[in-house]
Amino acid sequence: MKLFDPTMPPAARAMALAPRPAGLAGLRLGLVDNTKFNSDTLLRKLAERLERRHGTRVTVTRRKRSPSHEIDENDIKTLRSQADLVVSGIGD
Amino acid sequence: MPETSAAPEPHVLIEAYYDAGWTDGLPVVPPTEASVATMLSATGLKGHEVLGEIPGRNTVVIADKVAINAVLAGCRPEYAPVVVAALRALCRPEFAYHGPASSTGGSAMVLIVNGPIARRLEINSGNNALGQGHRPNATIGRAVRLSMMNVMNTRPGFLDRATLGNPGKYSLCFAEHELDHPWEPFHTTRGFAAEDSTVTVYASNSLYQVYNQLAATPEPLLTCIADTLGNLGSPNLKGFNESLVIFAGEHTEIMKSNGWGRRRVQEFLVEHTRRRVADLKRAARLPGPIAETDETTWRYVFEAPEDILIVCAGGRAGSWSACLPGWGKKWTRSVTERIVEG
Repeated sequence: MKLFDPTMPPAARAMALAPRPAGLAGLRLGLVDNTKFNSDTLLRKLAERLERRHGTRVTVTRRKRSPSHEIDENDIKTLRSQADLVVSGIGD
Repeated sequence: MPETSAAPEPHVLIEAYYDAGWTDGLPVVPPTEASVATMLSATGLKGHEVLGEIPGRNTVVIADKVAINAVLAGCRPEYAPVVVAALRALCRPEFAYHGPASSTGGSAMVLIVNGPIARRLEINSGNNALGQGHRPNATIGRAVRLSMMNVMNTRPGFLDRATLGNPGKYSLCFAEHELDHPWEPFHTTRGFAAEDSTVTVYASNSLYQVYNQLAATPEPLLTCIADTLGNLGSPNLKGFNESLVIFAGEHTEIMKSNGWGRRRVQEFLVEHTRRRVADLKRAARLPGPIAETDETTWRYVFEAPEDILIVCAGGRAGSWSACLPGWGKKWTRSVTERIVEG
């Protein structure tokens, strides 16, 4: 019996994950707000808590065009050069 | 009697496609080498040709997979160019596919077909235009949805996170009624000529029929439509998205006989869909306590008149039109794509 496969798997894309930091103390923190309602508030409070507990400091904050869009390439470059750790959110 | 290697019975094949997880819940038409080849030929594309990509999801849409899905959906080969154009439109960056396709909002992909191809393929624009009973309406939209599921990995529970979904997710395809229209056909408002054939894709998570049998002039009728577009539960209130209004039946005649142009209708609706900030806060559609000024401060539902898409379809009798609120905010826009025929 021959079936015609209508599916197409996602295109493979080479991707290397950055190594996890050994600790959070004194790291430069990047924030990416995806524009979902209250995402900026949540990220701000999270950053405050990380700073209080671990001495991190926010060095870059970026806001995406929308939750549906990818982050701009230039913003990725900035985050890569100016942050050790990036937090993005949120979902619902 | 000698044994024969007869092809499996259709019901066996249909069950096999169910078992593979390749259907939308309805039985599919089992493809054959010949039917897939004919469908692919009708797209005017080579099998490996790329129709579009969605980089954020690593999605690539290629012609031979679309051809298989169109056969599964029950399309006739001549429908293929419409399916191809609709999928190209979904992949345009301005449509921002990931949001409307994956959101909890559960949008239908509304397909509005304009131009000569709509009449040639007999895509229904008249009685029951949004309902059942017409093969091109039923199968073109279904082919797009099956391609979304099978090629673009937009499967319920995976990258389709619809909370409720809606029946239009099976298919919601219709043609505009261009021959007895109070205005110019919709696609001409987007830079196409009347003799061009186009499909417009638009994400909507609901369909609300608007009734008014007493109105003889546009204002009271449009007041009802404005109330529907701007009701407190409407996703429109999320912030400056698009909305689709389909004028039908006797409502079309009211617009025509009173000489209201499309722009005037849009401007009236922009003005009459606004809500008081206090009303929105009382209903928790805006955050925060109600200030005294909120009782007299207006918040507009639409940013611009052209954000209200106005088309004409449906039977000539009856006092019904329809509002289909758009998904999301202004970052996702409907897209009108030219249909290219081989």
